[in-house]
Amino acid sequence: MRFRLPQRINLVSTILWGLRIVVAVLVLAGSWATLSSGKLSPDTWRDLIIFGIAQGSVYALIALGYTLVYGVLFMINFAHGDVFMTGAMTAFFVARNFGESGFLNANPIVALLIIFAVSMLTSMLVAIVLERIAYRPLRRAPRLVPLITAIGASLFISNSIRGIYGEQSQTYPSVDALQGRMNILGIPILKTQALVIVSAIVLMIALVYFVERTRTGRAMRAVSEDKDVAALMGINVDRIIVTTFAIGGLLAGAAGILYALVFNEVDWFMGFLPGIKAFTAAVLGGIGNIAGAMLGGLTLGVLESVGPFLLLGGANVPSPNQLRDVIAFTVLVLVLIFRPNGILGRSEPGR
Amino acid sequence: MAELISGRQLRRVATIGAVAAVALLYLCMVGLVEAFKDRNVVTGVITLGAVMLLAVPLIAGYRAALPPRDAAAQSLRAPQRVLLGLLVGLIAGAVLGVFVLIASTIDVRGVLVRISPPLLEFLSLGLPSGLALLAITGIGGLMGALGALLLVSPARIRNAVTSGLIAVLFMSMIEPLLRPRLEQLDYTAISDFLYKSHGLTEVASILCFVVGAVAAVLWQPGNDFVRRTVEAAPVQTRRRIRGWTIAALVVAVLILPQVSGTFLAQVAVLVGLYMLLALGLNIVVGYAGLLDLGYVAFFAVGAYLTALLTSPDSSLGIGLPFFVALPIVMLGAGMTGLLIGAPVLRLRGDYLAIVTLGFGEIARVLFESDALRPWLGGVQGILGIPSPFPVRIDLQLGATHIFATGPQVFYYPIFAFCALAAVFAYRLSNSRIGRAWNAMREDESVAEATGVSTVSYKLLAFALGATTGCLSGALFAVQLGSVFPGSFDVFVSITVLAVIILGGMGSIPGVILGAIVLIGLPELLREFVEYRVLVYGGVLVAMMLLRPEGLIPNRGRQRELHEADSEEEQETLDGDLMPQRSPA
Repeated sequence: MRFRLPQRINLVSTILWGLRIVVAVLVLAGSWATLSSGKLSPDTWRDLIIFGIAQGSVYALIALGYTLVYGVLFMINFAHGDVFMTGAMTAFFVARNFGESGFLNANPIVALLIIFAVSMLTSMLVAIVLERIAYRPLRRAPRLVPLITAIGASLFISNSIRGIYGEQSQTYPSVDALQGRMNILGIPILKTQALVIVSAIVLMIALVYFVERTRTGRAMRAVSEDKDVAALMGINVDRIIVTTFAIGGLLAGAAGILYALVFNEVDWFMGFLPGIKAFTAAVLGGIGNIAGAMLGGLTLGVLESVGPFLLLGGANVPSPNQLRDVIAFTVLVLVLIFRPNGILGRSEPGR
Repeated sequence: MAELISGRQLRRVATIGAVAAVALLYLCMVGLVEAFKDRNVVTGVITLGAVMLLAVPLIAGYRAALPPRDAAAQSLRAPQRVLLGLLVGLIAGAVLGVFVLIASTIDVRGVLVRISPPLLEFLSLGLPSGLALLAITGIGGLMGALGALLLVSPARIRNAVTSGLIAVLFMSMIEPLLRPRLEQLDYTAISDFLYKSHGLTEVASILCFVVGAVAAVLWQPGNDFVRRTVEAAPVQTRRRIRGWTIAALVVAVLILPQVSGTFLAQVAVLVGLYMLLALGLNIVVGYAGLLDLGYVAFFAVGAYLTALLTSPDSSLGIGLPFFVALPIVMLGAGMTGLLIGAPVLRLRGDYLAIVTLGFGEIARVLFESDALRPWLGGVQGILGIPSPFPVRIDLQLGATHIFATGPQVFYYPIFAFCALAAVFAYRLSNSRIGRAWNAMREDESVAEATGVSTVSYKLLAFALGATTGCLSGALFAVQLGSVFPGSFDVFVSITVLAVIILGGMGSIPGVILGAIVLIGLPELLREFVEYRVLVYGGVLVAMMLLRPEGLIPNRGRQRELHEADSEEEQETLDGDLMPQRSPA
């Protein structure tokens, strides 16, 4: 028996066009209904957008880890979300100790810097060990093999943390100096959110400087272009790949603390959703592209915080915020289907 | 020391010892030791927690004594190897001992929640701290040396000892299964002989060890004898032997719930549900090579469609009979497969995985959401799904009265559906469609060029996988009598994936074995429930690193996965392109 679909009607493109139309109609109708109902005040919208930017900068930092690794190895490091979680969970104990001893409020800048350092170093360590044990032996394996390994590693890390630190969620102590709002350009912004956005910007500038201006950064770009040629030019490819994982881990660790500042609660499962969303952000911006990861993170963060209210609020859908994950995943699916190269990505034929 | 062991060997010993030490600390910190420290293996002698701890230096010692690749080490004599094992064990034991010492002076429970006083008491063997350090180090060294001794001893002894130990472990693990059943059937004498407070008795454990060891010694010649006899027999006899074997297997499966009682039947039902899921996912992942991480969506669609159509309490409230609803459910799930498959087909392998993962999560969130509550019941789910299968069956065969209740009855339809799906998948894999999938998986462009319509075949794989998955969902809904969105999280997809990976992608016997091992075994280890996902993660990583083709490989798949290796060998044979590949 020869199995074949009818040639005249192209089923796949029919479904794809149907999908495009449905999405467009839903987005337009939902936004129109909400905006014309005027349920939410301009101030609420502003807060939602700022919250979205703060959450988006966390996504962007995690997304950089995906993008860097993808840049050199062309693989999705599925366990990156758990690298992010490990840092935040480990640093929690330092933060709790500082909070109880009063050091956190007596000297918030030093305390926060130490907390950041602990989280970043832990995540870096986990990322390096992960690369060494799980990924390095599989460099030449078929594509699906490292991906399945990464999924397994992700489960292994998150459940190990669950076993070691316990499964209840932990609440980061609050910093007095970060309470309340501050005015930036006449806009009142929550101080924590301002800190998150500023730190993310600083880290991203540092990363761009590193990749564009330093010797190691140049070597990284060379490895991402062509591993074999880079090796012939005297670059130690293994070391560059480890460095890439380490940098991704550092950024993820920082993102872990920023996440804790925005959302306060951390637990062993916190890596899963931000991980997938950050991956979405990386793809949205164009995977393998550093600027793309930042742009994608911010876009996704804002979409996710504004989207549920904008699209569903006017349609009288009960508790629209429950559906924020659906919006994030729908963005992921739509981007991958209609523009897999992302906003800033170059096309990669044959990949 | 210097002439006994070279510096290079010492470095190797230090590395392996450090890894073993980390493994020991990990086992303690993650809580596995604590969870199993009261589960008896041989009552009064050893518990499962202790077995786990002892196994680490044993394996490390074995590994340390294993001849490394460089030529100088090949000439190591047996005592030297044992010494290596001893050193590794000493290192691992000493680290654990120091950790116990530290943990019993400083309270670390604020961070490491599993390091409880009872655990420390268990680890230090009830000794005061200084002595405990010595004792732990000594035991570590002893186990390391024993591991090395195992390596240097002749193969026959090694096999006998290993299989004897495995027999003891196995017999003690199946205690929750065997003992209640023995008592139920009035074989109390046997059960009292075998078990004492959930572990083996000393006499029984020695017996088990001997039986296991003797079986291992006899296995090789016996196996050879059977094979030689069968091969020497004429074709007709051989065919008849095969027929009888299959018949015996079928009969064994059919009477299993009767022999084993309700508990194992319940486990078997669960295994069957996952087996059905795995057979379906195997079509998508194993045959077509599309990594679908959102497979739980089809399971959920099957369950919810069944609930909507058959339950009088659902929003549709039509209450169709199950077997009338089933074709509609299958059709609906097939359509869902097409709808989900169509947009994602052009994506590369890894993107496809993430998108399907996204679909799975979307499905779960939607089933849970308040927005769809009027139709799907939100968090409360749908209740009151009637079962088409009787709760109890009574049979009068002559003088004997046979009856089956609950899972013992439910076992049969699940078994039937599994058998159907397995035969279907087997026939499919050997058909034109199966060959097209093979071609597509190995090289999509070449398949396209030779006239395989990849889009159609991918869609077909998705639709067939979805239909099989929804069957499992329908049976699940009927068995439970209700559906809740909480049953359909991402871990279902991951579990099914782990089943396929363990057994072997594209291999039906593999999938069956995988389901029995990964779903059945944890049910016997109740303390284990919390660590299931941890172990599934470990299984995925370990299988990919050590044996990517699975336990029972599909032949074609095995070739694909080792293509890279043979190419490399070819390269080194052809010319000295890379004469020294780094040993790492």
